[in-house]
Amino acid sequence: MDPITELESDWNRRRFLSRGVTGIGAIALASLLNPRFLRGAQPVEDSPRTFGFSHLAPRAKRVIYLCQSGAPSQLDLFDFKPNLAGRFGQDLPDSVRMGQRLTGMTAGQDRFPIAPSIFTFARHGASGAWVSELLPFTARITDDLCFVKSMRTEAINHDPAITFLQTGSQQAGRPSFGAWLSYGLGSENANLPAFVVMTSGDGGQPLYDRLWGSGFLPTKHQGVKLNRTGDPVLFLSNPPGVDAAMRRSMLDDLSELNQIRLAKKGDPEIANRIAQYELAFRMQSSVPELVDTSGEPQSVLDLYGPDATKPGTYAANCLLARRFAERGVRFIQLYHRGWDQHTNLPKDIANQCRATDQPSAALITDLKQRGMLEDTLVVWGGEFGRTVYCQGKLTGANYGRDHHPRCFTMWLAGGGIRPGITHGETDDHSYNITRDPVHVHDLNATILHCLGLRHTDLTFRFQSRDHRLTDVAGQLVPGILAG
Amino acid sequence: MRYPQIGTRAFVLAASAFSLIAASLAADRESALEVPRTHWAFVPPERPPLPTAHSVSWPKNGIDYFVLARLDQAGIEPSPEAEKETLIRRVTLDLTGLPPTPAEVDAFLRDLSPDAYENVVNRLLNSARYGERMALDWLDLARYADTSGYQTDGIRFMWRWRDWVIDAFNRNLPYNQFTLEQLAGDLLPNPTTDQIIATGFNRNHRANSEGGIVFEEYLKEYAVDRVDTTATVWLGLTIGCARCHDHKYDPISQKEFYQLFAYFDQLQERGRVSKYGNSAPLIRAPTARMEADVRDIETKLEKSRIAWDAILPKLRRTQTEWENSLTEETSTDEWVIDGLESRFPLDDIELASEVEPEPATVSDGSLQFVRGKVGKAAQFDGKACLRLKDKAGFGGRDAVSFGVWLRPEDSTGTILALVNEGDTRDNGFSVELVRGKVRVKLGPRWLDDAIRVETPQPIEIGVWQHVLITYDGSQMANGISVYVNGEPRELATQLDILTGGISLNYPLRIGSDGSGNGFHGNLDDVRFYRRMLSSVEAEVLATTTPIYTIAKKMTSERSTGEREKLDRFFLGSAAPEEIRDKFARLKTLEQEKRERFAAIPTVMVMQDRPDPADTFILTRGEYDRPGEKVTAGVPSCLPPLPQGAPANRLGLAQWIVGSSHPLTSRVAVNRFWQKYFGAGLVRTPEDFGTRGESPSHPKLLDWLATEFVRTGWDVKGMQRLIVTSATYRQSSDVTESMLQFDPENRLLARVPRMRLPAETIRDQALSVSGLLDGTIGGPSVNPYQPASLWKEIASDSSYSQDHGPGLYRRSLYTFWKRTVPHPSMAIFDAPSREICTVRRPRTNTPLQALALMNEVTYVEASRVLAGRMLRKSEGSDIDRIRFGFKLLTARNPTRKEQTVLSESLERYRSQYKVSINAARALIGTGEYPSSNALDPGELAAFALVASLMMNLDEVITRE
Repeated sequence: MDPITELESDWNRRRFLSRGVTGIGAIALASLLNPRFLRGAQPVEDSPRTFGFSHLAPRAKRVIYLCQSGAPSQLDLFDFKPNLAGRFGQDLPDSVRMGQRLTGMTAGQDRFPIAPSIFTFARHGASGAWVSELLPFTARITDDLCFVKSMRTEAINHDPAITFLQTGSQQAGRPSFGAWLSYGLGSENANLPAFVVMTSGDGGQPLYDRLWGSGFLPTKHQGVKLNRTGDPVLFLSNPPGVDAAMRRSMLDDLSELNQIRLAKKGDPEIANRIAQYELAFRMQSSVPELVDTSGEPQSVLDLYGPDATKPGTYAANCLLARRFAERGVRFIQLYHRGWDQHTNLPKDIANQCRATDQPSAALITDLKQRGMLEDTLVVWGGEFGRTVYCQGKLTGANYGRDHHPRCFTMWLAGGGIRPGITHGETDDHSYNITRDPVHVHDLNATILHCLGLRHTDLTFRFQSRDHRLTDVAGQLVPGILAG
Repeated sequence: MRYPQIGTRAFVLAASAFSLIAASLAADRESALEVPRTHWAFVPPERPPLPTAHSVSWPKNGIDYFVLARLDQAGIEPSPEAEKETLIRRVTLDLTGLPPTPAEVDAFLRDLSPDAYENVVNRLLNSARYGERMALDWLDLARYADTSGYQTDGIRFMWRWRDWVIDAFNRNLPYNQFTLEQLAGDLLPNPTTDQIIATGFNRNHRANSEGGIVFEEYLKEYAVDRVDTTATVWLGLTIGCARCHDHKYDPISQKEFYQLFAYFDQLQERGRVSKYGNSAPLIRAPTARMEADVRDIETKLEKSRIAWDAILPKLRRTQTEWENSLTEETSTDEWVIDGLESRFPLDDIELASEVEPEPATVSDGSLQFVRGKVGKAAQFDGKACLRLKDKAGFGGRDAVSFGVWLRPEDSTGTILALVNEGDTRDNGFSVELVRGKVRVKLGPRWLDDAIRVETPQPIEIGVWQHVLITYDGSQMANGISVYVNGEPRELATQLDILTGGISLNYPLRIGSDGSGNGFHGNLDDVRFYRRMLSSVEAEVLATTTPIYTIAKKMTSERSTGEREKLDRFFLGSAAPEEIRDKFARLKTLEQEKRERFAAIPTVMVMQDRPDPADTFILTRGEYDRPGEKVTAGVPSCLPPLPQGAPANRLGLAQWIVGSSHPLTSRVAVNRFWQKYFGAGLVRTPEDFGTRGESPSHPKLLDWLATEFVRTGWDVKGMQRLIVTSATYRQSSDVTESMLQFDPENRLLARVPRMRLPAETIRDQALSVSGLLDGTIGGPSVNPYQPASLWKEIASDSSYSQDHGPGLYRRSLYTFWKRTVPHPSMAIFDAPSREICTVRRPRTNTPLQALALMNEVTYVEASRVLAGRMLRKSEGSDIDRIRFGFKLLTARNPTRKEQTVLSESLERYRSQYKVSINAARALIGTGEYPSSNALDPGELAAFALVASLMMNLDEVITRE
């Protein structure tokens, strides 16, 4: 396609999509994938697809989002507060809480006793970042990470908070981050979706399809969630008694019959249907090949740890994330459940860390070794933080922490992000932010910036209003951008 | 030639004429922006005269004059009428969501009378399937689902409302009445149960049960959803934009938003709802069948009572004789045994439980066994905790009772408890003494998610007393009763916010809850019943007088408990068989009646609080920032409320359906239009405001809107009008030049081909294979779904798939879990129903191809359809193929298509001939029994041909 035609087609697509129309044109365009690949083009590894939204030089081509669902305690992992050590069981001063709202789970407590972390912290790497003993592997890669200790959000409960983190709105109905990227940048691979989702961890807070949903964007932009057991993509396998050769033969017949109908009816949607069936057929071989990690060298498997070969674990998903990234998937979303430690935090958080620390660090190391960290942005974090005061009974060895939206820690690494720094500070109780607050909208605006997108320009008209991921807010955080 | 060739001068001219139309539409819009109060949609529609058009033969009704006039302007002709096969399939799918049968197709082909088509339309409109198809779109608008939608996303029961919708369409309830009942049926004079059920519309929104939420925050969200949805569905306005600030484009102020809000924030409801099941306000909503069943059992019960009364004299006589004949104490005094699941005599540690003897464990302190109320009793020292393994576990929805004899030596301490030791927050179930008062707590977190009640009156210290706690499983504080010595005690409610979903499968602890709050004194004869005991039973339990002693008392000297105990003993074991049978019959019927009554479903409905609450503007839409006080009212850019309209939802509903309301009828007919033509005349059906698109045919829209009102809001009539128009009957064939000229079909010179909705694709497969179970209504069903889907991400992890008929019901009855919608529905663009959806996208994806080829539903339907094809035994292969093809497409295959299909069959046949195991595997897919009478290889080969046909673009498309 010559550049002018391409530009026009991009403009048309944008105009068309931004009007939110679902007519015949929408059907012709509609596909899980970037339509240009339906015409048989090969994956392109150069600059990301821009579709008229990109105004900036992109530093990252893709995102791997390691969402720690349930909200990990910043106080026990990163936000070291040595001054709390001597204040075990003392009341949280009113001057710190300042009447800010609490969840109904603790608002009625008689007291808000301070629960200092029982875990040991140390400085790591040239950057001297504080990391607790729970994360020995993460501690080794701190120089690749950018810690944001001053994250803040609006919601105080899981459902609205994780929905806010992933869609920019506490209420259902908005597109997820990955859907916005699929819409804004398209896919880089003809045989794979632009947006894939993997989950791990049992129990804990539930997840919802809306977290990877397309909201009011065309449904083709929604994330394809891989299943932990059975077909990785729903209905990928042929039914019993039908092998690949028979499927091929059936598809040839189907294509021929659809062609006959196309000739009579003239509806281009029939041609699109034929293409979608061919794509489905290709996925039947490309997806199993992709999720089969048996060809990975032992050294790589060892890097991700003992769970790397157990399907459905966080470790296996991290390894798959790298494989998806290699193949040009635009947005790779992982969720690990089980961080909601209202009670028994010391024991439970240690288990969570055992399952996630090594694989998270391995992913960074692996991407770096392959030169992929340059253009892959990795994000780690949960939907909010946790309180310094104890929920329930506080003992010397046991405590729990309630939800805390006013500050929490996330880390970022790779494409466009300044490595080896810590951004933002909280007060002595890790309760309020004292320097450089970063709102979820600010984070999202910054991630989009790294991908070459101005968050105010990536819009879609729905109900006659131009919507964006960052709603009517969002400020770029220059402090965490690489120079 | 109808269309100018691309590139010719004629094309350029025609295209520029078309752009002029587009430009004039745009200009309309611009001017509307400048003078918003005269925006076209805010002015009541006036009935335009039918325009003149160049053809008098083409139009079949009013619609066609408007369409043709516009086509004339552009200088193009309408498409010819679709082939009859296409037409009957189109209209049958559109009106019923199911394909026509070959017999219906043939009858239509044979019928050459001028009203053949109209007769088909009338037949379809009178089919009960029509209501199901119409309901489908309404359920999207009403955000109907089977779960609550937030976090836990637990089950709720709104199917009685869903069935009301189906029925309303089938009995052709006029749209104004349909509206009044759904918005304010409860406020109509003497409302029927059905009219109250209808108000479930505005309880279908999501509701949150997450622990720790601020109730007020979600109460506001619910009311906002009601305002948004009502405004979108009936007014086609994006009023929600004015929640935080004045509407940026439409003349609707923030104050006006909260004036509408004031109609919807008056419910007596709780911000944090039940985790599982319906939340108040709700009503019992029996189906007609259930009501008949209850009446039936009541009649039987009445007869049985008469029979019982007849033998009462005889009973009294024989009982007196028996009482007189007693010579010694009976061996047992236990006559409250129904539902007694565990009994702990506390006579010694080895035999703590009578039901299933098992040694109990004692932690801390020490336990003595001393003389008790019944045999021995346990003596607690304030430290000991008797722990009994899983003997009394129950869930929040279970009715249970706990009884105990106690002689406290101190006024404080736990009597019994079921707690989760692993949770450091206070939780579970406990009965304790607090300053002598009996306190009962039930919930996962006693601080904020529990019931807590207490007897204001303390019990006595140092005296044996019987305490009975009963609970009805309602998860409400008033579901708990406390009896002391058989007397019900007044209870003070300290907390009444149990969200539910609790399951207390923990060891029963007696004498302590394990956290040091131990009981001092004696405890004896602890009982656990898996039902709620009655007050009479409470008295019996508190009565220790032996049977013989009671029998020897004068009747007048016996206490109620004693009398009842004696009667129960006599009727249960000593009475003559005839009396015992009659008594048992009476009890059985009473039990049956209770069960039938308990099985009556509930539905959440609208019900305003008796004491109206004030409504305030919320600054920036935030729940905790109330501003100016407002009263209910409607936006000033629209007509005023009717004279004398009540200041409640009924007044609002009357305003909405007022005959001169500029929006209601336009918005409704526009959505109907969208159903048949893929897009509305206004292509932003959710937004008729100044930023919405202008109508492509403004006069047609107004003509339809006024026609709708003129015909008494006749919904079926409006469907008939549209589908009998010449416009609707056009062919869907397109040429390159047609596509180039009018790619979005704004001129309506053809009918669009549209991929079928998710539900119709599945229903069609079930229908043509003969698998479809046509039962209308009832609780939602659980068809095939990958087993791990919920487990991986949801809270309630087990999907219990149906077997048998539940697998083959119409898809509108498929269980709709909002946070994990059924994949077969979601893949074909069904919405999650988390919010009101006015139009579904229609995508074309590889996941759809995979589902149609591989999902068990479609594979099973293919092989069952193959059986149907094969059983046309007299036929040749060709006949069988043609039969299957016609079932799916309503037409015969062309010679070329037939050749492809026959060749496919041969190829599959030779494959399966050599691999018979593969054949068996394919035809064994799904739970429907496979026919043994048919050759497996043949069946498999035909199954693959059927599957091939089911995957045709034509088959999943309405042409």
